[in-house]
Amino acid sequence: MVDPSLLLHGFGTVLSGYNLVALVLGSFFGIIIGAIPGLTATMGIAILVPFTFGMTPITGIVMLLGIYTGAIYGGGIASILIKTPGTPAAAATVFDGYPMAQAGLAGKAIGIATISSGIGGTFTALGLAFFAPILANFALRFSAPEYFALAVFGLAVTITLSGRSPVKGVISGLLGLLLAMIGLDPMGGFQRFTFGFAELTGGLSFVPMLIGLFALSEGFRQVEIILTAPRVSATLKNILPTLKDLKECLPAYLRACPIGLIVGITPAIGADTAAFLSYAETKRASKKPESFGKGNPAGVAAAQCGENASTGGDVLPMITLGIPGDAATAVLMGALTIHNLQPGPMLFQAHPEVVHQIFAGMISANVVFVILGLIFARFFAQVINLDRKYLVPLIFITCMVGSYAINNVLYDLATCAIFGFLGYLMIRYDYPVAPMVLAQILGSMMESNYRRAVVMFHGDVTLFFTRPIALTILALAAFTTFVAVRRQRQALKQEAAQLAALEESSSQ
Amino acid sequence: MSRVSMRTIDILSALCLIPVCLYVFYESGRWPMLPDLGNPAWIPRGVAVLLFGAALLLLGKALTGRSLTLPGRLVGADRARVLWVAALTGVYVVIIERLGFMTATAPYLFGFCLALGERRWTRLILFSVVVPVATYVVFDRALNVPLPRGLFR
Repeated sequence: MVDPSLLLHGFGTVLSGYNLVALVLGSFFGIIIGAIPGLTATMGIAILVPFTFGMTPITGIVMLLGIYTGAIYGGGIASILIKTPGTPAAAATVFDGYPMAQAGLAGKAIGIATISSGIGGTFTALGLAFFAPILANFALRFSAPEYFALAVFGLAVTITLSGRSPVKGVISGLLGLLLAMIGLDPMGGFQRFTFGFAELTGGLSFVPMLIGLFALSEGFRQVEIILTAPRVSATLKNILPTLKDLKECLPAYLRACPIGLIVGITPAIGADTAAFLSYAETKRASKKPESFGKGNPAGVAAAQCGENASTGGDVLPMITLGIPGDAATAVLMGALTIHNLQPGPMLFQAHPEVVHQIFAGMISANVVFVILGLIFARFFAQVINLDRKYLVPLIFITCMVGSYAINNVLYDLATCAIFGFLGYLMIRYDYPVAPMVLAQILGSMMESNYRRAVVMFHGDVTLFFTRPIALTILALAAFTTFVAVRRQRQALKQEAAQLAALEESSSQ
Repeated sequence: MSRVSMRTIDILSALCLIPVCLYVFYESGRWPMLPDLGNPAWIPRGVAVLLFGAALLLLGKALTGRSLTLPGRLVGADRARVLWVAALTGVYVVIIERLGFMTATAPYLFGFCLALGERRWTRLILFSVVVPVATYVVFDRALNVPLPRGLFR
C-alpha cells in the first residue's frame, strides 16, 4: 500500500525549490509541444531528456512528467481551434471541440478540455499511487522465468497492436530485438554484431536513438508537410467553465476515468484508444447521443478526460515491472535509467522515497497544467501559429545538441541523425516505430532472463510451462496476439472495402 | 489524390531483410558456447527465423497485389526538401566537431531555412546567428554541457 507519510514528504519535495520550477517549466513546454500539430508527447520527452542530465534525479523526473502530462492535454487545443489534433491522442476532441469553436465557444471548449484533462489525469495518478505498491509487491515473487514471460507478453502486445499492418509491426519489433543484441553478450561477454567498431561494444546509444526515432523523424515529417499547416484565427472568451458546465460533464468523467486507467495499463494501447473509447461510451450512455459531433461539451470532456486518464495507467507497468506501457513511457524509462533508477519492484524496496516522489510529481503535474492551461490559454492558442520554417530547424538543433550532450561523442550525434532518417522512412512507409523501441528494451530483458532461467534450472526449458505465473502470462500473450491479429485483419478488410467504394463512386 | 501501392517498397524491404536474417543466423552460430551458460545462439537464431518468415510473408503479399496503399508519392518540391534537409544534416554531423558548434550550426540553419522556403533575409540571418549563440550559452555555460569548440579549441 502507499505510505501516506512518504507521499506527504514526496509532495513537500516536489512542490519546493527547483523541483517546482522544473515541474512548471516542464508542464509549460509540454503544453506547447502538445498544442503544435505534428509534435508528440514522446517527441517532447525525447528532446528534453538531455536537458535533465545536470539535474538531480527527482528534478529531472518531475520535469519530464510535466512534459508528458502537459503534452497529452495540449493536443486538445489544436483539435478545438484548427480541427487538427496536436497529438494523435487528441483526435477524438475534434468531434465536438471544433464545432464548439465554430459556434463561437472556443474559450468554453478549451476551458472544459483543460479541467477534464486535469480530472482524468489526477484520478489516474491517484490510481497509480494506490495500485503500484500492490503490483510491485506481487512482482517480488517473480523470478527469471516470470520476467521472461512478461517480456514476451509486452513484445507480443506491442508488436501486434501497432500500425495498420501486423506483418510490418512484427518486422519492426523483430528488428528492434536484433538491434538490442548489438554489443557484448550479457552472460558470455563476447562481442556480437559490432563489425569491429569500438563504439558498438556497449551497444547502440539508447537515448540518441530514441531522440532520432521519435523526435527527429517527426521533424523530417514536418519538413515534408511544411507548407500545409493551418493557422488559428479564433478569439478565446469565457475560458473558465461554470459549475453548471462541469456538472453536465460529470457522467463523462465517471466513465472516462476508469476507462482511461484500464486502457493505459494495457501495453501498447495508448491515450488515443482511451480517448476514443471514453467518447464512444459517453455518447452511447447519453440521453441525447445525436447531439454528439455537433458541439456537445460532454464530448470534449469525455475525450480529454479519457486521454489524460491513461497516463497513470501507462506509467504503472513501467514503474512496477520495468515494462513500458507505450512509447512515451519507454522514453521516460530511459530517462529513469540514466538517473540510476532502474524501474521495477526493486525500486520500491531500494528507493521508496523516490517512488512516492514520482507519485506526488504525477499528481502535482496534473494540477499544474490545469492552472497554466487556464491562465495562458490565449498564449497557447497563438503558439499554434509559430512559423514552421523556424520551429522545425529549432527541433533539429535541439535533438542533435541533446544527443551530443549525453557523452560528448560524435557517435551519438550520428546515431541520432541516422535513426532520425530511418524513423522518417519507417513512418512514411507504414512501419510502426514504437515496436522497434519497445522491443529493444524488452528484448534485452527477454534474452537475459531466458538465459538466466535456463542456467538456474539446469537447461530445463519446460520450466516456462510448469511455473503457473509464467504459464499464465505466456497464455495471455498468445491469446492477446490472436485477438489483435484477427481484429487488425477485419479492420484492414473494412478499410479496403471503403476505399473500393470511394474509388467506385468517384469514377462514376 | 489517388492512393499508390507500396508494392515496390515492400519488395525492396523484403529483399533487404532476407540477407540480414541469413547473416544473423550464420554469425550467431559462430559464437562461443560457454559451459553452463546455455547456447547464446538460440534467441538470435529464433529472431532471424521469425524475421525471415515475416519478410517472405511481406514479399508474398507484395507479389500477389496485397500491399497496403499510401495517400500519395513523395515527389517534386516535397521530395527535394526532405532530401536537401537530410543531406544538410549529414554534412552537419560530419563537420560539427572539426568546425565547432557555432561555426557549423549557423550555415546549417541558414541552409535549412532556405530549403523550407524562407526568403526574408534579415530574419534568416538573425535566426542563424542568434540560435547557435543562445544554444551555446544554455548548454555550455548554464547546463555545463561542453559543445564542440572546433576552430576555437
